[in-house]
Amino acid sequence: MKVKNGKDFWAGLMFTGFGLGFMLVAFNYPMGSAVRMGPAYFPTVLGGLLAILGAVIFFRAFVSKFEHPFKVFTFRLPLLIGALVVGGATYFGDSLLKGAPLAEFALTGLALALFIGAFGPRAMFLILLAVVIFGYALKPLGLVLSTVILIVLSALGGHDFRKQEIVILTVGLALFGVLVFVKGLGLPFNLWPGE
Amino acid sequence: MDIGLIHNLSVGFGVALSLQNLMYCFLGVLLGTLIGVLPGIGPVATIAMLLPVTFNLSPISALIMLAGIYYGAQYGGSTTAILVNLPGESSSVITCLDGYQMARQGRAGPALAIAAMGSFFAGSVATVVIALFAPPLAEVALKFGPAEYFSLMILGLVGATVLAHGSLIKAIAMTLLGLLLGLVGTDVNSGIARFSFGLPELSDGINFVVVAMGVFGFAEIVSNLEQGESREVFVNKVTGLMPTWKDLKSSSGAILRGTAIGSMLGILPGGGALLSSFAAYTLEKKIGDTSKFGKGEIRGVAAPESANNAGAQTSFIPLLTLGIPSNPVMALMIGAMMIQGIAPGPQVMTERPELFWGMIASMWIGNLMLVVLNLPLIGMWVKLLTVPYRLLYPSILLFCCVGVYSLSNAPFDVMLTALFGLLGYIFVKLECEPAPLILGFILGPLMEENLRRAMLLSRGDATVFFTKPISGVLLGIAITLLLITMAPTVRKTREVAFQE
Repeated sequence: MKVKNGKDFWAGLMFTGFGLGFMLVAFNYPMGSAVRMGPAYFPTVLGGLLAILGAVIFFRAFVSKFEHPFKVFTFRLPLLIGALVVGGATYFGDSLLKGAPLAEFALTGLALALFIGAFGPRAMFLILLAVVIFGYALKPLGLVLSTVILIVLSALGGHDFRKQEIVILTVGLALFGVLVFVKGLGLPFNLWPGE
Repeated sequence: MDIGLIHNLSVGFGVALSLQNLMYCFLGVLLGTLIGVLPGIGPVATIAMLLPVTFNLSPISALIMLAGIYYGAQYGGSTTAILVNLPGESSSVITCLDGYQMARQGRAGPALAIAAMGSFFAGSVATVVIALFAPPLAEVALKFGPAEYFSLMILGLVGATVLAHGSLIKAIAMTLLGLLLGLVGTDVNSGIARFSFGLPELSDGINFVVVAMGVFGFAEIVSNLEQGESREVFVNKVTGLMPTWKDLKSSSGAILRGTAIGSMLGILPGGGALLSSFAAYTLEKKIGDTSKFGKGEIRGVAAPESANNAGAQTSFIPLLTLGIPSNPVMALMIGAMMIQGIAPGPQVMTERPELFWGMIASMWIGNLMLVVLNLPLIGMWVKLLTVPYRLLYPSILLFCCVGVYSLSNAPFDVMLTALFGLLGYIFVKLECEPAPLILGFILGPLMEENLRRAMLLSRGDATVFFTKPISGVLLGIAITLLLITMAPTVRKTREVAFQE
């Protein structure tokens, strides 16, 4: 058997995985009956349907008349395994980490970074990483420094990085953010660390 | 026209013409044009970004502004399509074909003018269509019970999947995944936090903005960066704006036909601006002298541009009358209404007439503003196009991040958006259209609620969905639609149609 349509192959796996995953988690909730549906009823039915459709798409990959290469996008298995190991250890070992919230935070962050890095091009890794860091830095570092991190890091994901341009852009956007978001729209962000 | 309609419209214009609402309408269409002109950021991401800000506005001002963004983007999108051969907006894809050719022949001015005139005409007609058809539909909808609502949502989802690009079965799978993701959070009946993995942030469910911004906004930026950029802007070629008599004569028919198609297809679930523009262009290519299509035929600009504007506006009809969104932008409008404490549905028209009619009146006013914004100020928009993408996308990211963070003033939503961005990228690569997922996501909890109520009322008898007349008809249409799409001949033409 040869995979003719790589896109269908992976899409089928993805949908089946999601369907089974939702069903599996739904087993923890009461099912109820058709008259009085419990919280598990609707998701179990939908998850089952999704898993079946996923299987159909998966098998279609072997007979499809559209040809796509098996490798659809860059995928780094070691990083994904690393993410699952670190993430799993953090999730299930959280009683051990209770005394060290910073360590737990760092481990979760590492797992997340590994997970994002496992898929797709370098640009995506940098952009999504910049976004996540912005989210978590906004409160401790303030709007100005978070903006600098976001712009510089995401600009590194582009094709050509021109230093002077990025400096001007960063200064401009930081100024804009302070004036429009905080002064104008009144969003409750602090501007600098420790305010 | 009856007296009631005139009375209602005058109430609407009274609301829309207040200084404050005029200002928000202007702000909306200005922003809409801006993001329409800029490739890489669409109305979904923009409206999602502005949702938290609308919290502080009055409901009518908020809706007027957000609506303006959607139809304003249709105007702006044509500018980029004609001058750069890039769709500023997905619904302008088809305008590139003939619009860009006209620009290369030095006729960018007439192309832009016809696009704006067609859009204005279509927008005016669509406004009247909404005013005429929404009230009777809302009256029917008031008689709906849970069974009818459930069937209606099934029809809406089927409509969205049938009209989605690419594989039908993948579109259905995406809908199911969307429905499931919509169920994350506390179950209203039992109080159990479903699929939350013990995270308190997930017990209220995933915010719709997070999904929309991740799957549409972030994923689009990443795939844009992957493709690299190559642009050739005909900036200095915009000279005379006035179309010749011959242009006007040949495009007037196209504008009429485009408006009619757009007004009809906009109402369909899953329809809206994009589908309308494709359908209008396809029809135009079958009528009259077709030798010049693809080589700068003005009808190829007039028809789709009229259609997408008409479709953008009439897609408000299912939202305003049934409370059911027909595309992702409308799903966001539901979010905006809920922020304001308004439950979308047929009762809006009777309980808050000033809201409904004010919004309709504002659409016509907004269209008028758009003609002014687009034609004399075209030079300004053209300048904007010369801003390179490498400077644009970090700025877009900043706006997106600030918007998402403001949802709950916590970093969790930002992190979740990044994960949905990753998922969205995978969807793009696997050719899974995200629009059905978004619709499923917003309808998931509503569908479950109505299914439960209907089954409780019928004492567990599932045939009730077929035996109740309205519900039976709706389900019948849904099944027929699915069967037709699966029929071999239709499947082939559908594949061809989406390939073009």
